[in-house]
Amino acid sequence: MELQAIYVQILALVIFAIGLIVAVSRRNVFFVLMGVELALNAVNLSFVGFAKTLPNDLSVVGQIVPLFSIAIAAAEACVGLAMVILIFRNRESVDADTYSNMKG
Amino acid sequence: MISLWLIPLFPLLGCILLGAIAVISSGSRKGPAEGFVGALAVLFPALSFLSVALLALDMPEAGIRETLCNWIDIPMFRVEFGFLFDGLSRIMLLFVTGIGTLITLYSTGYMHGDRGFARYFAYINLFLFSMIVLVLSDNLLLTFLGWEGVGLCSYLLIGFWNKDLKNCQAANKAFIVNRVGDIGFILGMLCLVTIGGSAILNYDALMNFIQMIINGNHLDLVVPFLSVAGILFFIGCTGKSAQIPLLTWLPDAMAGPTPVSALIHAATMVTSGVYLLARLASMFAILPVVLNIILIIGMLTAFWAAVAGLFQNDIKKVLAYSTISQLGYMFMASGVCAFDASIFHVFTHAFFKAALFLGAGAVIHALAGEQDMRKMGGLLKKTPVTSCVMIFAFLAIVGFPGFAGFWSKDLILERIYTNCTMALPAFTFFGAEVPSIQLNSIIYMVGLATAVITAVYMGRLIILTFFGSYRGSKESEEHIHEAPASMLIPMVILAFGAVFAGYFWADSIGIKFFADTLAPVVGSAQAYNASAVTIHVNPMVFAAFGTLAALGGMFIAYKIYANARIPAAKGSSAPEGRKATWTFLFDSIHKYVGIIPVNVLAWICDVVVDKILAAAQWTIGAIATILGDGAASFQVRKVRVQVALSIVGLIALVAIVLLTGGTL
Amino acid sequence: MLALIYFIVLAIIAVGSAVCVLLSRHPLYGALSLVLSMVSLAGIYGLLGSPFLGVVQVMVYAGAIMMLLTFVIMVLNGARDSKTPMFDKVSVFVIPAVLVLAGLVGFALVRSPIAFDAATVRGSVSITSKTLFDVAQTGPGYFVLFEVLGVLLLSAMGAAVLLAKKRLGSVDTEKTEDNH
Repeated sequence: MELQAIYVQILALVIFAIGLIVAVSRRNVFFVLMGVELALNAVNLSFVGFAKTLPNDLSVVGQIVPLFSIAIAAAEACVGLAMVILIFRNRESVDADTYSNMKG
Repeated sequence: MISLWLIPLFPLLGCILLGAIAVISSGSRKGPAEGFVGALAVLFPALSFLSVALLALDMPEAGIRETLCNWIDIPMFRVEFGFLFDGLSRIMLLFVTGIGTLITLYSTGYMHGDRGFARYFAYINLFLFSMIVLVLSDNLLLTFLGWEGVGLCSYLLIGFWNKDLKNCQAANKAFIVNRVGDIGFILGMLCLVTIGGSAILNYDALMNFIQMIINGNHLDLVVPFLSVAGILFFIGCTGKSAQIPLLTWLPDAMAGPTPVSALIHAATMVTSGVYLLARLASMFAILPVVLNIILIIGMLTAFWAAVAGLFQNDIKKVLAYSTISQLGYMFMASGVCAFDASIFHVFTHAFFKAALFLGAGAVIHALAGEQDMRKMGGLLKKTPVTSCVMIFAFLAIVGFPGFAGFWSKDLILERIYTNCTMALPAFTFFGAEVPSIQLNSIIYMVGLATAVITAVYMGRLIILTFFGSYRGSKESEEHIHEAPASMLIPMVILAFGAVFAGYFWADSIGIKFFADTLAPVVGSAQAYNASAVTIHVNPMVFAAFGTLAALGGMFIAYKIYANARIPAAKGSSAPEGRKATWTFLFDSIHKYVGIIPVNVLAWICDVVVDKILAAAQWTIGAIATILGDGAASFQVRKVRVQVALSIVGLIALVAIVLLTGGTL
Repeated sequence: MLALIYFIVLAIIAVGSAVCVLLSRHPLYGALSLVLSMVSLAGIYGLLGSPFLGVVQVMVYAGAIMMLLTFVIMVLNGARDSKTPMFDKVSVFVIPAVLVLAGLVGFALVRSPIAFDAATVRGSVSITSKTLFDVAQTGPGYFVLFEVLGVLLLSAMGAAVLLAKKRLGSVDTEKTEDNH
């Protein structure tokens, strides 16, 4: 019995689902951010898994894109955390449901 | 060699400079120095006149053509910014810039002490610029630019004293009535473009096109279309030149300062309609129907306005109606294809009418704003120079032998008699056969009668103003004074013009300078219709009749008004009773034909259409509100719920893709 | 066979720590679980033949980003709020929805015929850097994209500094200072 490509995809799917559940169902804003990171990781894993099913040069592309996605995630986390600090300073709450200033 | 674009450039510069001065000085209490502004204001028209004169002296026979730049260049439509200086525009430019300069000089005296001194001269310069563009352009579209420009300046200057609501209403009236005519002009241009493309808007191209049609015998094909275009252009001309039916604005336009009335509403702007007819002479020459319409309209206008002139008490209103009447003469001449005669009358009329208006301005100036003739009288001794100028101009307008009007008006009457080929077709009247009637003698008689009436009302004006005894109040009599030199000099120069301008084309004594210079422009057009002339009468007979009419009219005026007791002036100088009915005939026609239907339409729009629109609007609004409220109920406070809902949507999408196998 | 065993072990750690993230009450515990999950994912990258990506994952994700997150959680003292419930009505609705979605996608995945290619390239440092920086190569170049990414990171840093710095002299800032 060998490692199958589909196993990797199933793993990615499971982690993505957990990340989505964390991002949407938890109210603490840190958990929301962590859920998003988790989901991003799962997508990266899926990229790499699919890249390994391609021949030769094409597979390189699938390993480059996660690099970029990691870099963008770094930028996102950076700005996101700064916003959390800013909001926390004004509202003194980490409950994402209280951030409803934009409601029409 | 002077470039053509210099001519309009000078007044434009003047306008910009004076406008800047007016804007800058609007905040200060005292206003700009009048001497400086006046000098600037006269300088630029004078420079323009100088360049025109220099150009006119050595103009080649075919004229000068100059293309400045490309104006409009889009697919299917190409117009150049070009100027054309030929016999016709030379004459027009000479008197537009010349008389314009004189009247600007006169205005420096007349407008002395007015708060809007610089503004006034900025408008005058803008007007001269527009008029020069109108006359000098080599295509219809550029002419239209000037055409609109003079309309705008007319509006600005009529409403110059805009503190008074009546002046503003008069300005609005002039502007709106002119718009009606301008629509005719635009549609006429569109007609031409439809026939021959945008190139045909150029006057030379149009002339060649007409010549090609005549040579190729294709008249039947294009004459119906061209007739429509011709009628539309003629509507444009009736607006600008105050002919029936668009003439009601000109008497009201007397609300502006008197020099404006002299410059715009007597000498230059109102003649642009006649100019356009002459410019398009080659086109009108092949359209007998349009020519007949022009002739009839001109005749009716001349006669009606002359009679209306009899009833006026306001000195400027008399002159206004006389202007309309004289313009009627010019249109009559155009209607019998005698375009050179009509331009000649424009030329002489510019001199004596400007002199009359400036004289009237001097009289009003002397009487401190009084315009009612019933309160004047006996001014001959108090203001001798003004009186002499007015009397010379009067002799010119009635056609006294030797004066300018004699040559031009008699020429028109002669051409009407000889050239007119209009005839009533034979018809059956109560069983009796009525043969076809040649109308030329009838129209000639109407023209002659109009000349008599002209002499009567002008004689009335002169007698009421300058002879008899003063009828105003005692204290105002002591303040009567002669106008300053800056006003007298232009008047005297114009009076000389009124006396001698006619000798440019004194047919009876063999001088034909004027006809020769216009021949390259309108000669071919007139030659096309000249073949119809069959009657040959000694021109001396017409001269005799004209003289008789002038003398007869003056005699009647003397008999009626010299010793008549003038009714005491009431509050208003407007005519009353039956006289008012005649004077305001076309105002009431406009009211019933134009204003009331439009008002009814507006009422219908207001009451019916507006309600329907409001209902439709309300329905759409209600639907949007219901939809919006429904959608808003899904919108909840929590972002997480929204994300959760979108996950459900995603599930639905994935399910659809899976169920359909991705082939949807 | 050995690869499969490694994979199963790493996958169990990754999923288990992800579930820990979901269930932990304090954000700090969640963050630590997340680090564990990411490290095990890095192991899976190495297992799949992309060692460079695995190293980057450890350095950037598990190292930099999670360190930043942990740091912020510890700076903001009030991050733990016992008042807020862990799950509420929305969670009850979301968890089944996500499970259904995952089921559907998994169904589609299982039916799709994918398999590892024998001739695949090992994502070593040399290959990755050659792909990234070799402008002359014939394939799609990533050089400009890489530079743009650098600018993005720089601007994100600037934005973060601007957002999070205290507004000097503002009354609100002073008051907030006092409360903490």
